[in-house]
Amino acid sequence: MNIGSIDRSAVSGSGWLHVVSPVAKLTAFVLLIAAVVVSWNLFVVAGLLVALIACVASARVDLRLAFVLAAYPGVFALIFAFASAPDALSATVIVLKAVTAGLAAVTVILTTPYPQVFAPIQRIVPSIVGDALLMTYRTTFLLLGKFASLMTAIRLRSGLRGTHPVRMARATTAALGSLLLYALDLAQRDYDIMRVRGYDGRLRVPMRRSATPLLDGALLVGAAAALATSLAWRLGWQTLNPYSWLVPLPAFALLGVAALVRILRPEVDR
Amino acid sequence: MSHIHLPDGVLPTWLWVLGWAAALALVFVAGRLAERDDVRRKVPLLAVVSALMLVAMSSEIVPLAYHINLTVVAGVLLGPVLSVIAAFIVEVVLAMLGHGGVTVLGLNTLMIAGEMIVGWALVRGMLALMPTRVRPATFIATVLALATTTTLLVGLVALSGSARATERETGALDPATLTFANPLSGGVFATGLFAGGEEAEAGAAPISVTRFAAVVYTLGPLGWVLEGLISAWILGYIARVRPSLLSKGPLASRESRMIGDGGMRR
Repeated sequence: MNIGSIDRSAVSGSGWLHVVSPVAKLTAFVLLIAAVVVSWNLFVVAGLLVALIACVASARVDLRLAFVLAAYPGVFALIFAFASAPDALSATVIVLKAVTAGLAAVTVILTTPYPQVFAPIQRIVPSIVGDALLMTYRTTFLLLGKFASLMTAIRLRSGLRGTHPVRMARATTAALGSLLLYALDLAQRDYDIMRVRGYDGRLRVPMRRSATPLLDGALLVGAAAALATSLAWRLGWQTLNPYSWLVPLPAFALLGVAALVRILRPEVDR
Repeated sequence: MSHIHLPDGVLPTWLWVLGWAAALALVFVAGRLAERDDVRRKVPLLAVVSALMLVAMSSEIVPLAYHINLTVVAGVLLGPVLSVIAAFIVEVVLAMLGHGGVTVLGLNTLMIAGEMIVGWALVRGMLALMPTRVRPATFIATVLALATTTTLLVGLVALSGSARATERETGALDPATLTFANPLSGGVFATGLFAGGEEAEAGAAPISVTRFAAVVYTLGPLGWVLEGLISAWILGYIARVRPSLLSKGPLASRESRMIGDGGMRR
């Protein structure tokens, strides 16, 4: 979970998805998740995944980072599928669902600064929840950096290598214990700072308005089309199933276009 | 393996919607309770403890499915009310990072919060009986808490399995043999209406709860023991270095939380 890279992608990216308003992206995300939930058709889910990959590729997001993050839920889905799926086809669909949903979430977080992602949530939950959510994300960076430093220090002092799993486990545990104390001290300092600066129980993040209504609309139409496709095949499966293979075709076409654009302008691939 | 690593779309809609409703209700109640006093101290505490859990979840000691959670440690420090909020925060961040589905966020929040609260109650109860035995108390509490939430997980899967969550449409792919039939073999246009309709596909087999339980209870105990050992060491370390965190909690006034103050021994 390379949160630093994620944040850098969200803040510094220059793709079209970075320009789309956060509300439109979150709405499209919900629609896409709904499409994933509705469908158990292998071809429909595969089409959703391919279309999403095309969006990610065209948005000039770091593909390697996106795929690594999206693969993570796929691993657990694979375990779940192995443990409980009745047949290989269901297992495949379960994994594809997980990867598609994960990639959708990752796409949002890779193209949207975290305050903008959490801002809608902040408006519907108690203020202590919303404020703590905002601070958690920032604090995670601090603790990750501190944890890495602690691990390095412990390794250097102990002369540890990766070939000693028990000693490595003890070192990790020691680092976590020290990190806990550091975290609590950090909380005290944050409290002191907030008190001095007049914090009154609300960290308000303004919602960013749309600068590209056409792009917002296009994204929402695409997401709505995805959901409509899933619903159509779910409700009319008796008629539509023989034509399921048609669904991935436009998605692959989009992917082809995105690949061409990316090849012609390979700035993001590092 | 305690919180749910189920993908979106596997559990039936009624189950995850109910999970969302219950989780949000709990979060709202906990939020109102927490805001009654000194909210400025609780916000940064929630943030650092939630972040600590996220850092722990990103540190895998054993490859593949295992990562430590520190949920019991966090529960002991936060108490039951703030634990609910911290669980929700952690799950929101994880869901946005692709770790755990969005639809199961509510159920995951309930699982993590339950684990934290059960762990908190067990640790506090055992320390009341044996105040100087922090590490054994923490180990036992952690293992029991994880076993409880894992059992709840199996129960959830059992509930979802009865709803035939894996009903599926396969298109031209034959699921029994995984062969692909020519979809145009019956002509370009095939409408069920004029042809009298296709036979409805026989109901798909439900999720195999037995096999899932076998896998979870085979892999799970190893994780429980690891989590128990790590949590025990951490809280034992805290008890030795800063015992007031366990006896009075991190929200206690600064003057009463001096290093080496009176309290429990290791």
